[in-house]
Amino acid sequence: MSLLGGGIFKGMAVTLRNFVGSYFDKERLTTKEYAWRTDDKLPERAGDYPKEEAEQLSDTTTVTHYSRNFPMLLHDEGEPMDTVRCVACQICERECPPQCIYIEKSKDKMERGGNKAQFYPATFDIDVSVCMSCQICVEVCPFDAIVMNSQFELSTPDRFGGLLLRRDDLLKSNDYYHKIHPEEAAARDKRIADEKAAKEAKKKAAEEAKKKAAEAKAKAEAEAKAKEEAESAEKPAEAPAPTHTDAKKEDNGE
Amino acid sequence: MNWELIGDILLATVPLLVIFPSMFALTTWVERKALARIQNRIGPNKVGVPLTPYGGNLSLFGLGQPAADGIKMLFKENIVPTGADRLFHLLAPILSLIPAMLVLCFLPLEFPWLNGEQNSVKAFMLDGAVIFFFAITGLNTLAVFMAGWASRNKYSLLGGMRAIAQMVSYEIPLVLSAVVVVMIVGSLNAAEIAEAQAGWNWYVFQPWGLAAFVIFFIAALAETNRSPFDLPEAESEIIAGYFTEYSGFKFALFFLGEYIAMFAISGLAVTLFLGAGGGPGVEALPWLKVIWFLAKVCILIGVMIWLRGTLPRLRVDQLMGFAWKFLLPLSILNIFIAGFAWHAKKANEGTAVSVIVWVAALIILYAAAKGLDHVNRAKVKPRTYQYGE
Amino acid sequence: MPNYELIQQDGLETSLLEVSMGPHHPSTHGVFRMDVKLDGETVVDLKPVFGYLHRNHEKLAEAMSYLASMPFTDRLDYFNSMTNNWAYALAAEQLIEIEIPERAEYLRVIMSELTRLVNHVSLVGFFVNDLGALGTPLLYAFREREKILDLFEQASGARMMCNYFRFGGLRCDVPEGWLDRTREVVDRFPKFLDEYEKLLCENEIILSRTQGVGNLSKELAINAGITGPMLRASGVNYDIRKVDNYGIYDRFKFRVPYSKGKVGDCYDRFMVRMLEMRESIEILKQALDGIEAGPIMGNAGKVFKPAKAEAYGRVEAPKGELGFYLVADGTTQPYRYRVRPPSFINLTVLQDMCIGQQVADAVIILGSIDIVLGEVDR
Ligand code: SF4
Ligand code: SF4
Repeated sequence: MSLLGGGIFKGMAVTLRNFVGSYFDKERLTTKEYAWRTDDKLPERAGDYPKEEAEQLSDTTTVTHYSRNFPMLLHDEGEPMDTVRCVACQICERECPPQCIYIEKSKDKMERGGNKAQFYPATFDIDVSVCMSCQICVEVCPFDAIVMNSQFELSTPDRFGGLLLRRDDLLKSNDYYHKIHPEEAAARDKRIADEKAAKEAKKKAAEEAKKKAAEAKAKAEAEAKAKEEAESAEKPAEAPAPTHTDAKKEDNGE
Repeated sequence: MNWELIGDILLATVPLLVIFPSMFALTTWVERKALARIQNRIGPNKVGVPLTPYGGNLSLFGLGQPAADGIKMLFKENIVPTGADRLFHLLAPILSLIPAMLVLCFLPLEFPWLNGEQNSVKAFMLDGAVIFFFAITGLNTLAVFMAGWASRNKYSLLGGMRAIAQMVSYEIPLVLSAVVVVMIVGSLNAAEIAEAQAGWNWYVFQPWGLAAFVIFFIAALAETNRSPFDLPEAESEIIAGYFTEYSGFKFALFFLGEYIAMFAISGLAVTLFLGAGGGPGVEALPWLKVIWFLAKVCILIGVMIWLRGTLPRLRVDQLMGFAWKFLLPLSILNIFIAGFAWHAKKANEGTAVSVIVWVAALIILYAAAKGLDHVNRAKVKPRTYQYGE
Repeated sequence: MPNYELIQQDGLETSLLEVSMGPHHPSTHGVFRMDVKLDGETVVDLKPVFGYLHRNHEKLAEAMSYLASMPFTDRLDYFNSMTNNWAYALAAEQLIEIEIPERAEYLRVIMSELTRLVNHVSLVGFFVNDLGALGTPLLYAFREREKILDLFEQASGARMMCNYFRFGGLRCDVPEGWLDRTREVVDRFPKFLDEYEKLLCENEIILSRTQGVGNLSKELAINAGITGPMLRASGVNYDIRKVDNYGIYDRFKFRVPYSKGKVGDCYDRFMVRMLEMRESIEILKQALDGIEAGPIMGNAGKVFKPAKAEAYGRVEAPKGELGFYLVADGTTQPYRYRVRPPSFINLTVLQDMCIGQQVADAVIILGSIDIVLGEVDR
């Protein structure tokens, strides 16, 4: 025979334990208190929000090293636009599920880091009110030029222009990337270095081979070309680039 | 002009009007904090004293929250739905506050700073205090239904109808459990009831008193629409029940009225069963009575908050069934047991028989409650499940 | 039910009270509407109205590459993005020859069982919230869910919209130490479940509110195509993890709880979920013991371009059978893309269960079905 109202008393014991426990047990009180500092002042307008601090927040516990939010464009050491990795190949623009990237290719080519001269993005916009943080663009980019940022304090008083991130807003250095996603960035750098080493070794081998047989070199070239062609053939059909007025008006209904 | 009388009246009523509303403000903060902790949250923690001389915000565990809420309520827009009955829509919150405030003066609170022939002033010495208490709190039902009707909203109407059914039903066990004490003391006067319990003679220590106290407390929860009997304002079913269409200051009045009613009915429970202002040290320092009284009220309120943090709510038919099929028979039985036990104890004062009577009464009451519960919820029990590989 | 004609003969006018519960209502779990006809407090008629959250998911997917639909499946049932991903990946993997590495299979099981924990624990919280419990159980559930979501975030970068599965494996490996952290969470979970059961399973109010409410017979459940815990609560032993053995579920020892009776009520649906969580923990423990290092991505090429074919992939999502039906026409985009959402199909019996009950019951019956409007309306 059970006690009259026994279930209710048991439940009350549980809530009492939680009430007391929330003062002592870290496991129970998982909320973190966002402390006001004495010199804290609330921004007068939303636009005055301390941006620099927001960028540093990824060092704090509020954002983990794993979180992803919106994409950013990587550049290596040096002037951002001189070392930007993106070559405006527009693969990401085509693959982005909600079509929120808009790229315009440059007219001229630019040399970067001793590589062959390539195009660069004259315009590179991401409408973060449409972007759904899916990371598909990062996966498809063959040049490791676009990665995910974890900056989350993007509130702005201008809901159209303010949420349209321009190329210069998106440019972030590789160091910053290492700061916010250390593990991922290290792995990526290692992969790039490996690939580069492999490529150089291949090049060396190819040069040696060139000395031996000219046909072999021609064949290798043909192969490289074929591979490139296959890649471009495999790209899905051209999707219409998002017109900005449309993209801006769209509401992310989630 | 009888200035002395006016002075007396002011000295007797002003404390009531100051103490209870400020207790209300504090209770809303305590409730939010306690519920938050029960739910493993932090609760209000930001609003304190803004703009201190140091330039920052002194947060004081969010103690400024009630003030901020009050100011917010005052400045909110007053929305009356089209088609609502504007007059009654306005009257309802006022009408729900007035009886709650009015019954406060029946509580045997003694403020010892005034003297005359007696050493203290009670707001209202009335021989029929207990009766008046119930009569006036009953008016609250009217206000609730008025709100439900005047809002011209189906959810409000449902809430109003639920409230009427609930408050009328639970009035009966409430009164019947109070009758036990009235019967034993032989007086309806709150002060006399308090005096009869002086010196740890609290009725809650008697078996019938305990049963009556439990019944009274449960019925009081229902009377004040507290969880698990908060059906008239059941959020998950009918939005906010009768005050769905209330906003701003009118809503604040409802809110205030509800909490004051909670204090009033807890105050009556303390008076009837928990020895009113009795406690250690009251003989030496009479003003401790007020402190003890309020402390006991606060404990009861704390239990109400705790229950609210734990329990889901009943359904309408179960609620009525609980009142009529469980509380009512039990409280009637309790009246008889109280009578017998009292006389048996009187006749055998100080002997072993009185102890036996005490235990027997408790067992009978518990068995009766258990039996009633068993009959009412015969089919409801935990089940077992089978497993497929 | 009173005889209205008799009342009207007495010269009184009477009619049913029509209440439109939703789309803005605290307990319709999203933008869902129930047009309820009430006789006093009794539900005489109930019509579910949905479609407020229609996002054209299926048609959109037909104009996108296969991979680009993956992040959109997260948004179907936003509580369980991992199982949604899996169902879609299963369907797509049938279209092409692809080998899934061992480690990926284990991680898939781990992710989907963690998802089941997240879903059931918060469903129970929501359900008791609908019963009127001011969110206490819900917040306990969210406290535990938080720990699992942290794991998801560490693995995939996002807490809810994980987008973690890929055709032929997973997007990336879990970071170092992740498995240990998962084991910690899994080991601690039963303690929380004990507490949760103590708080809820014996509570007299919950017992009397849920038992005998929202009866769903075995026959009706089968005829209506109900799946998942709801079907098992009606006494049918059917679990796609056992029936299909997709992934590597045949390697784990676990049991499927189902009701003893022929009729399932809200209490059964609530308890079956509570018991299922314990089984998920068993699976998780076995999977965490069995997992080994290795690659996480199969031999899939960068571009997904299946030949002409049809495929249907289904998983036991926490809410029931979630299936994706794909018709490939040889291009990089599906010709037809169809979702079989468990919430939507389970919702079809709402009317049958609610009629004759009280308003308050209609709310908890809806809660016990466990719907997510993102999935119902797609
Ligand atoms: S994260 Fe996804 S939605 Fe955002 S820009 Fe990249 S591909 Fe587009
Ligand atoms: S895929 Fe990479 S390189 Fe190409 S446009 Fe996008 S970011 Fe630039």
